[in-house]
Amino acid sequence: MLAAALAEIPALPLHTAGKYVAGAYVVLFALVLIYVAIMALRLSRIERDLGELLSMSERPAGVGGQDQSAEHDPRRESAPA
Amino acid sequence: MYGKGLRALSISTVVAVAVSLGLVFFYAPLEAEQGFLQKIFYVHVPLAIVALCGFVLGGLLAIQHLRTRDPRWDMRSYVVIHMSLIFAVGTLITGSIWAKGSWGHWWVWSEPTLVSFLIVFLLYATYQPLRFAIEDPERQSRYASVFAITAGAFVPMNFIAVRLSTAYLHPRVLGSTSNLPGPMALTFVVSLLAMALLFATLCKYELTAKHTRAQIRALRRRLAGETAAPTRPRSAAPALQHVTTMPARAAGRSAL
Repeated sequence: MLAAALAEIPALPLHTAGKYVAGAYVVLFALVLIYVAIMALRLSRIERDLGELLSMSERPAGVGGQDQSAEHDPRRESAPA
Repeated sequence: MYGKGLRALSISTVVAVAVSLGLVFFYAPLEAEQGFLQKIFYVHVPLAIVALCGFVLGGLLAIQHLRTRDPRWDMRSYVVIHMSLIFAVGTLITGSIWAKGSWGHWWVWSEPTLVSFLIVFLLYATYQPLRFAIEDPERQSRYASVFAITAGAFVPMNFIAVRLSTAYLHPRVLGSTSNLPGPMALTFVVSLLAMALLFATLCKYELTAKHTRAQIRALRRRLAGETAAPTRPRSAAPALQHVTTMPARAAGRSAL
């Protein structure tokens, strides 16, 4: 069935300007691919940071020099949106 | 905050790009003079239009930043201009490939559309160095907004000036002289829509990533018991840490 569907699709005239058209679309594809790769790196960094935060939150109070009174400072709750 | 609707937008973009590619290669007829080479226009022209509209949008967002002094508008303006610059690189490369196939040269300096687009690109290429050159975040965002507004106003003026020039070598896709047949026009509109969706999706990804990083920094500070924001290293990107809203109760829950 797939072969029949592919046979119905008109052949692309790649012999003339095919390399230029392919080049242009590859540029777009490459730009998106590079962006996705950069986003993947960022995501892995965020994952690592979240892991560090999780380990920080699991520490007992006062171990990391944490000031518990600072957690409930009302001035910090009114930070601009 | 920025991640809301990202999934739907991403799926829409993938579908639109797939439909656009299908129309370009299997529906739109071959152009009489250029033949298969004309297929480049379905990626080159939408890239150019979206990039130029992005530059103008960056200026409009910068106006909103100067009006409200809200750093989030500066962040949006920065991301939109940053993405437009990437799209502009794509426009220049695909345009050069078309010029080589059609005219036999990678670049033609006597062609006003090419040179004017290069001028706009080079103008915006100075945006990031400008930001990086200013250390104080407040001044940096203010000066960058002024730049974005001025350059954003230059883009339509530049476009009109090129249109008014008499030496027409560059093919016109849109305008009074346009005579695109129905299937070609439909393919072009779908390609433009797909490119606009791609632009919006990438901007949203960028904003979501930056906002998430800012939230993580804020949470780290709270868990470490720091009261003041640390001095960050010099960066071209806007600072968001002083506007990140992480309710103290939520931070407290995380700590427990």
